[in-house]
Amino acid sequence: MTPYLVRRLTPLDSRLALAALYAGAIVAAVAAGGSMFALFGANPVTAYLSLIENAFFDLRGFGYTLVQATPLILVALGAIVAWRSGFMYLGFDGAMIVGSTTATAFALGAGPGLPLDMLPSTIVVALAVLVGAMAGALWSAIVAVLQVRTGGNTVLISLMTNYIAIVLVQFLVSGPMRAVGDQPQTSLIDRAFWLPIIIEGTRTHAGILIALVMAAVIFVLMEKSAVGYELVAAGLNQKAARYGGVDVGRRVVQAGLVAGALAGLAGAITILGVQHRLLDGLSQGAGFIGIVAALLGRLTVPGSVVASLLYSGLTVGADAMQRHTGLPSALVQVVQALIVLFVLAAEIARTHRIALRAPSAAKARA
Amino acid sequence: MSTIFDATFLVTWLAAGVRLSGPLLLAALGEIYAERSGVLNVGVEGTILIGALASYLAAVATGSPAIGILAAVGAALAASLLLAFFYVVVQASQVVVGIVFNVLALGLASVIYRAAMGDVPALTSAPMIESFSIPGLANLPAVGPILFQQSPMLYATLALAVAAGLVLYRTRFGLNLRAVGENPRAAAAAGLSVVRMRLLCILLSGVGAGLAGGYLVLCQVGLFRDTIVAGRGFIALAIVILGRWNPFAAILAAFAFGLADALGLSLQLLALPVAPQLFIALPYLMTVVAISGLFGRARSPAALMQPYQEE
Amino acid sequence: MMVPAPPVSPDRPIVSLRGITKRFSPTLLANDEIDFDLRAGEIHALLGENGAGKSTLMQILYGLYARDAGAILIDGAPMEMSGPQSAIACGIGMIHQEFMLVEPFTVTENLLMGGLALPGGARFDPAEAGARIRMLSEAYGLDVDPDAVVEHLPVGVRQRVEILKLLYRDARVLILDEPTAVLTPQEVQALFVVLRALRDAGRSIVIVTHKMQEVLAISDRVTVLRDGRRVATVATAATSEDELVRMMVGRSVSLTMERPPTSPGRVVLSVRQLVVGDATGAIKVAGLDLDLRAGEIVGIAGVDGNGQAELIESLFGLRPVASGGVSFGDEDITDWSPTRRRAAGIGYIPADRRRVGSLVELSILENAMLGDLGRYRRRDGLLDRRRGLDDARRLIERFGVRVSGPLFPAGKLSGGNLQKVVLGREVMREPDLLLVEQPSRGLDIGATRAVWSELLNQRSGSKAILLVSAELEEILNLSDRIAVMFGGKIAGLFDADQVDLATIGALMAGGRATPAQGGRS
Repeated sequence: MTPYLVRRLTPLDSRLALAALYAGAIVAAVAAGGSMFALFGANPVTAYLSLIENAFFDLRGFGYTLVQATPLILVALGAIVAWRSGFMYLGFDGAMIVGSTTATAFALGAGPGLPLDMLPSTIVVALAVLVGAMAGALWSAIVAVLQVRTGGNTVLISLMTNYIAIVLVQFLVSGPMRAVGDQPQTSLIDRAFWLPIIIEGTRTHAGILIALVMAAVIFVLMEKSAVGYELVAAGLNQKAARYGGVDVGRRVVQAGLVAGALAGLAGAITILGVQHRLLDGLSQGAGFIGIVAALLGRLTVPGSVVASLLYSGLTVGADAMQRHTGLPSALVQVVQALIVLFVLAAEIARTHRIALRAPSAAKARA
Repeated sequence: MSTIFDATFLVTWLAAGVRLSGPLLLAALGEIYAERSGVLNVGVEGTILIGALASYLAAVATGSPAIGILAAVGAALAASLLLAFFYVVVQASQVVVGIVFNVLALGLASVIYRAAMGDVPALTSAPMIESFSIPGLANLPAVGPILFQQSPMLYATLALAVAAGLVLYRTRFGLNLRAVGENPRAAAAAGLSVVRMRLLCILLSGVGAGLAGGYLVLCQVGLFRDTIVAGRGFIALAIVILGRWNPFAAILAAFAFGLADALGLSLQLLALPVAPQLFIALPYLMTVVAISGLFGRARSPAALMQPYQEE
Repeated sequence: MMVPAPPVSPDRPIVSLRGITKRFSPTLLANDEIDFDLRAGEIHALLGENGAGKSTLMQILYGLYARDAGAILIDGAPMEMSGPQSAIACGIGMIHQEFMLVEPFTVTENLLMGGLALPGGARFDPAEAGARIRMLSEAYGLDVDPDAVVEHLPVGVRQRVEILKLLYRDARVLILDEPTAVLTPQEVQALFVVLRALRDAGRSIVIVTHKMQEVLAISDRVTVLRDGRRVATVATAATSEDELVRMMVGRSVSLTMERPPTSPGRVVLSVRQLVVGDATGAIKVAGLDLDLRAGEIVGIAGVDGNGQAELIESLFGLRPVASGGVSFGDEDITDWSPTRRRAAGIGYIPADRRRVGSLVELSILENAMLGDLGRYRRRDGLLDRRRGLDDARRLIERFGVRVSGPLFPAGKLSGGNLQKVVLGREVMREPDLLLVEQPSRGLDIGATRAVWSELLNQRSGSKAILLVSAELEEILNLSDRIAVMFGGKIAGLFDADQVDLATIGALMAGGRATPAQGGRS
């Protein structure tokens, strides 16, 4: 008797079923990860508890969680806008990098004695952030235009642009933008232009507020506005959307601009709030984890925010866990990936079920 | 001052280009088969890493590079089975699965390496597969060092590329494979099992990637770091496209990328005013232009990335 | 030289289906305990309305669908039919509605591709196979070049390639699913000649169709399906059109509509020397002239693929015009966008209601808003959902859509109900001109009647309607004037009561109308 996968007549669609599947998947992933902890001789329960405590119930730790969540939320918002409009963009890493670079260049150009010195510092910060967003928007719009005009494979092209951006930064920080010295990095941005810390005693900067505001904006855009309707229509069915009067090409490019702007914004905020200088390797994969968070959140704004917080909490907690118990933080990375995989696998339980049938009976096929 | 057109520089650069193109070509060949059957396996990057780790650990443990290669293949097969489950059974978005898998692979590799080697990296060199010189031919001026003093893995890879091309275009299996990637419904109506074909091709792409990982460790670097792959998996994807899903053309495309990689390194020796990064970025730009559709559509297999549902 | 099939007793069934049942969803029981027999050397028609379950039954026989219950017997022995390879191995071949051809391959490659050993245990040798295929093609008069790439072949030839595929495997049983949908009347006759020859040589053929004329013309026996059940199996010679209709729909009357006389008013649409190409640059509409008046329906008859789709799309602004002009009332609208045309009073009901006319993932409410977003956009840029709900509820009520409420997902509606939503949405905007394509395709009699009534309603309200349909019954029932389109041009334009079926048929096939038959442009 071998098990077969049989298509359900009606896919499970009730809220309860979905919630149960999701919860089950997350629990399974966490348990699988926990068993790996055990292999290292640690107690999974205490390890997880210390992780959660550090990420969410400790002021400084929670502050870090918010800091880490900021770029994730912004990239996730970008993924929502882009993917739901039919623009399968994966170049958020590159757009972030481009945003960081332009923001850094702008902020460095506003130091004492330099061209933009006369501007008040709040304006400089606001403009730096804006410039970063615009640069990100242009970066991704190029790919959007390619998709609309020539039908190029957006997935692969945008993946390539990430590498171009990485190489670009490597060039800039080793050459034109390098600070005095041997390190491949720029000089430190003037303290006046750092994003203010909003929670005493933590490293939480204003970026999280910007991210949450953008979340509200994108929510209204996609769920409630007429433009959002057109974007979603364009993403669901180009032909039908065109039939319904939607200028699909224009909307896709606009979606690309927004997605890139959000990622560029994330990059600018990360520079002005965390690193305060441009160096190689600063995105740390946020461009991809943000996409994953969006997918876990089923491409909805509230879901993505929650998923981003979950993921950033895991990352922050992992570092603390490593310090306290010696467990490598990479283990948590494994858990993060397992969560998505289990959730994806759980999806199949929504549309199929397992049937144990003797082969000679009316047949079911996998 | 030696210039870029100096003969020695040219020869060194071309030889290095050929050398570096090996693992890229190997990974690309497997991926060509996967994509020809309709599956875009973005998880190549992670699979190369897993192959690299397995080959390192096995070779260090047993002192035999051959066992290392076998271990690379075994580990990659296991990883590919997991990927195949998600691509073919769950039928989740291929791009998503690939990306998440890469994250998983990175995490697992770090963890396992740490567990096996302890916290302080011992920097144990793995026993390597040495390059050899083909007697006689290796002494030819210019061409000798470029083509005939390379690793046996490179020659094996080139032979594999030719074999892959012949199978794809001259055998019934290759015909059926291409049919599955162009019109899976037609293939099914003709009695082919789309699922089985895709499964096989995903495993092939895994083997290619795993071997590429072993190639990196045992023929080139000699050590393992979690940054050893550095995007080569994605470059393999680019090679597949640049080579228009054709194993013969992939040889040239891989060479182009190998040259760019080698140039970046070599230029640093020359202290040229031109930034090396420009050349490093060149292959990526080339690929973007090639697949952007600006010069006509690169015709990918029609069913690429589309899930296939049986009733 | 015909290749004969091995001799079989004429009365014992080659294929026997017993109690076949297949359910797709709680509301869709496609096959309900169907029995079916096929004898050697017969042409057996499987007749039924759209959605009666004919294709499904054959897909099960061919192994592409898994059955929920029932048995399949080949030559009296039960077969598992785990997939097409089992069917092919039993000598069963199927030509689907959508051809199963790999476009970039040659004909030879398409025939060589597959999961079974090559016929006769041959080695993989494209040259040798090509020669054999050429021989087969000549033997059956199919005129197919084995080295031609399928991508470049017209539809009629592709069908012959599919037939060749079956002959290459020496199929004893040939299943053809709606084979004449894409053929001109001439090509249909040619196909029938081939089929009769195959039957006379001892092979068995099943034709799945919803066209009664064909059943009467070609088949030896006919099995009628209705709503997933077998109604009856009769010898064709022993039945009549009326009886077949009764079995198909349970009534003895076919659909005819009352068309009250109207007097057409001003010219609403004027098309002059219109030339439209497609994506590859081929000319699809080759210099077309047409005038359409308020209060009349002009029906464009023609086989799919003669430029009708491109004509309608260009009239709505979905396809660019290469040359020529389109006027709506007094305005030249040749370059206008669809949105602008809608605003001016043009509505469009596309042929594909699921993939063009609606967004099936969204609710009825959101579909009701499609095409007129300006009406639902508030000043602050947000959607006016309340207005949308009102409009959607009015639509549901006025057009009798059977649904619980406007938030129901459109994709789950039946074909008829979805068509009502699409039709209703366009009509409620009170356009002066309606462009309508294949409005009753895939609908049962009740929904068809509702759609036709509404169109005639609009006609009575002095709207102008341009109707494109491949169903002559539809054209004849609704049109005041009938145009036949062939090769991108109007081959003939007549008043509806001054033309007969034969003339229309001839023009559809590319023949010419004689002046005596009232031809008028």
